[in-house]
Amino acid sequence: MSTTLSTDVLVIGGGATGCGVAWDASLRGLDVVLVDRGDLAEGTSGRFHGLVHSGGRYAVKDPKAAEECIGENRILRRIAADCIEDTGGFFVTTPWDDPEYADRFKAGCAATGVDCEEIDLAAALREEPRINPSISRVFRVPDANIDVWKTVWALARGAQDHGARVLPYHAAVAIHREGDRVTGARVRGARTGEEIDIEARVTVNASGAWAGRVAELAGIEGVRILPGRGIMIAMNHRLVNTCVNRCQMPTDGDIIVPIRTVCVIGTTDEHTEDPDDHTVFQSEVDAMLDDGEKLVPGFREARALRVWTGVRPLFEDAKAGNTETRDVTRAHALLDHEQRDGVTGFVTITGGKLTTFRLMAEDTVDAVCRQLGQERACSTRTEPLPGSENGEPYRLGERLERKEQHLSDAQLICECEMVNRGKLEDAIRRRATTNLDDIRRLLRLGMGPCQGGFCIYRATGILHGLDGLSAEQANEALRHFLQERWKGVWPILYGDQLRQARLDDWIFQGVLGVGHPPSSELDRSAT
Amino acid sequence: MRGELHYDAVVIGAGTAGLVAGARLAESGAHVCVLAKGIGSTHLAPGTIDVLGYAPDRVASPREALSELVAARPDHPYALIGLDTVDHALAWFESCVGAGPLAGYRYVGRFEHNHLLPTAVGALRPSTLVPETMVAGDASAPEPVCVVGSRALRDFHPALCAANLTRAGIAARAVEVDIDVSRADENALGLARRFDDPAWRAGFAARLALKLQADERVGLPAMLGARDPGGAWSDLEHRLGRRVFEIPTLPPSVPGMRLYEILRSALRRAGGRLILGAEVVDAERSGSRVSAVLARTGGHDTRYAAPSFVLAAGGFASGAIELDSRWITHERVLGLPLRGVPAPEQPRFLGDYLAEQPMSRVGVAVDGDLRAEGADNVLVAGAALGGAVPWRELSGEGIALASGFRVAELAGAGAAATTGAAA
Repeated sequence: MSTTLSTDVLVIGGGATGCGVAWDASLRGLDVVLVDRGDLAEGTSGRFHGLVHSGGRYAVKDPKAAEECIGENRILRRIAADCIEDTGGFFVTTPWDDPEYADRFKAGCAATGVDCEEIDLAAALREEPRINPSISRVFRVPDANIDVWKTVWALARGAQDHGARVLPYHAAVAIHREGDRVTGARVRGARTGEEIDIEARVTVNASGAWAGRVAELAGIEGVRILPGRGIMIAMNHRLVNTCVNRCQMPTDGDIIVPIRTVCVIGTTDEHTEDPDDHTVFQSEVDAMLDDGEKLVPGFREARALRVWTGVRPLFEDAKAGNTETRDVTRAHALLDHEQRDGVTGFVTITGGKLTTFRLMAEDTVDAVCRQLGQERACSTRTEPLPGSENGEPYRLGERLERKEQHLSDAQLICECEMVNRGKLEDAIRRRATTNLDDIRRLLRLGMGPCQGGFCIYRATGILHGLDGLSAEQANEALRHFLQERWKGVWPILYGDQLRQARLDDWIFQGVLGVGHPPSSELDRSAT
Repeated sequence: MRGELHYDAVVIGAGTAGLVAGARLAESGAHVCVLAKGIGSTHLAPGTIDVLGYAPDRVASPREALSELVAARPDHPYALIGLDTVDHALAWFESCVGAGPLAGYRYVGRFEHNHLLPTAVGALRPSTLVPETMVAGDASAPEPVCVVGSRALRDFHPALCAANLTRAGIAARAVEVDIDVSRADENALGLARRFDDPAWRAGFAARLALKLQADERVGLPAMLGARDPGGAWSDLEHRLGRRVFEIPTLPPSVPGMRLYEILRSALRRAGGRLILGAEVVDAERSGSRVSAVLARTGGHDTRYAAPSFVLAAGGFASGAIELDSRWITHERVLGLPLRGVPAPEQPRFLGDYLAEQPMSRVGVAVDGDLRAEGADNVLVAGAALGGAVPWRELSGEGIALASGFRVAELAGAGAAATTGAAA
């Protein structure tokens, strides 16, 4: 039994790009349905370090990418102000970097329009006293950080305000074709099991690292994505308050991004066949911690909170006969399948980087409009996202300041991330979810140093009370969340974080007994 | 400037193991000092004496299950302690509670039997010697359960507890009672202090009574009084005319604090000294013996010399054992060798959270008499001992109590032998 929806544009993929496409298209007056197999930003978008590039990183290697980055950086600061913290960035020459590179870097920035100012070493060290004092040169660039979940949900909310329908947990299981025309897709609700046929005038494949698979569903060959897997580690403190980059050709472990109350070191780049492969290798963790030491001596003494992996969707067009895997472009790839394959009603957008998601969306919706034979102007360069209307950038301490005044009125459920009961109840109702991980992405529940030690039981109790869940569902929600937390913790368990994990073991297994939930058989009969 | 003090025995750590060891040594006439960086894990644990809950199936009789466990795992702390000692330690503890500072507060249980008590999620938790205030929660009791909570307490969710009890075949429902709190983040300890007040308690009982059905027993989060829990609990039973029981929940643990008070007072009563905020920062060695430790209090170092030391500073949870960022484990107090550490090429942790983690059984290497390897006059007790996974086995307080009891016997004998030799 299936139902049918009908729309102008179907977007497959709810990352920053897909949500950006939904926002852009709905602002242009098109009717939009967006689907994702999981939650919004659960893929690559939610799995990076949070850097809004100034373009400095690409100034030498990839000038086109640098130009795009600085352009989008300026736009994002206006339209997504509430999601962005203006940390600024440093490029520093450490003793391990080629000293020649600094001048090339400076010239590259000048050529690509990336604002870059060389600053006095002493001044830089005063500003960031933890960075390695043996650096030889420092350049200031307009790097920033972005809260990607906030951004993606603002995009989705904005699109919904303009009539878009957003369906997370709906995976595309088939793409419908009539001859040389894609007419929509069939999606299956992961939670409902229900199948929905969506008729669309144009279908946008915005599934990033999974774009090749989605293209295959449409019978289109040769969309080859080389997933590049990278690990990132969040440390318990902002060891730096400025994004600190190594001044060298982009490589592994060369950047530390301060974001919210933590800082994130990234990243590695390992080729993987499977974009769903999230294995973390010990050697990668070790290398990352060593790289951290180079930028911030004493890095290893800080507490590692969490490690995760993300996959970059590096695109290679097998159809163009280019099978060279090195230097695959990080600029984005827009495939108009009408031009490429003679198939109408289907567009693929992949590659790229978070910083340029808006531009990718703009290019994509331009192509959609071409296919529809309509002139509709893009307005995302100036239209602020919901929540960013006043243009005030996010400041660290803003939430605390706001909450401090009302601390005694509201029950805090997650103390690390200051999530109060009202907010949590509201989010559970709004998402109509039984998955605490969905709530985590919305509210940052359980993302602080205790990694859910205290809030998971509280949140489960509240979820159970609100949603009328069965005990079995509530137990499952709790165990699932514990398992999700553990996934990102166990490969970096050392020092105080191991101590914390042990306390959490005592709470969950020792005190609460979650390892032995009641079974349906009469438990008391065993006594 | 540094002071210098001499004792017959110095105990490091003020959790259950350290306090028991200190109290027993003091009772045997030794001049004892317990040094601790901070309070131990009592305030985090449910305050029950869990001897053995899972092995790996749920244990009905700890005595029986322990005989099998020690035969199968000769490196398990219980194998080193011996079952008779467990028996004696449990009996000693009960007498300690009776003579303790909390009049009318008793522990109930036998070595041969585990109670099966509800947790805050409504799982059933096997436990051996438990506060009388918890006993009526036992799964074998016939009355239906009314789990009582309050929106004012974020650390207890009665509906979830009741729903899981129902799943376990126990008729249960949940009610909420309004509690007027001055702060939104009230915890069980704050509420326990209110329950100490008879007038407040009477008001609470009156509000609750309206919501109860005839034959129900009442389960409340463990918060029935901090100073006079026995009085508060029996008063509440009397006022409600039915059985009432406490259910342990998230830290801070009120019954755990009561346990701490009981043990601390046993130490004091016997003439032992307790110094909190005294971190051991260094140890002096002479050959294979530790001759003194240096403890830092408020920036001031004091040398504590003794013929005998007990290390009861805990494991990873307390920070006494550490895994550093280069994956090397250290015993941080005295620098003693460890055992149970996975080999470098072996996994330390597994991806399945509820699996037994390879790092779980790490502890100080000891001989059959709980003597630390490489330190002849250091005995080891509590979570510093490896070989067990107490949060899975539910054996933590049992091991702490029995090993604390045992090291006191051994240290006493050792000290006597030393004195004899000197004479």
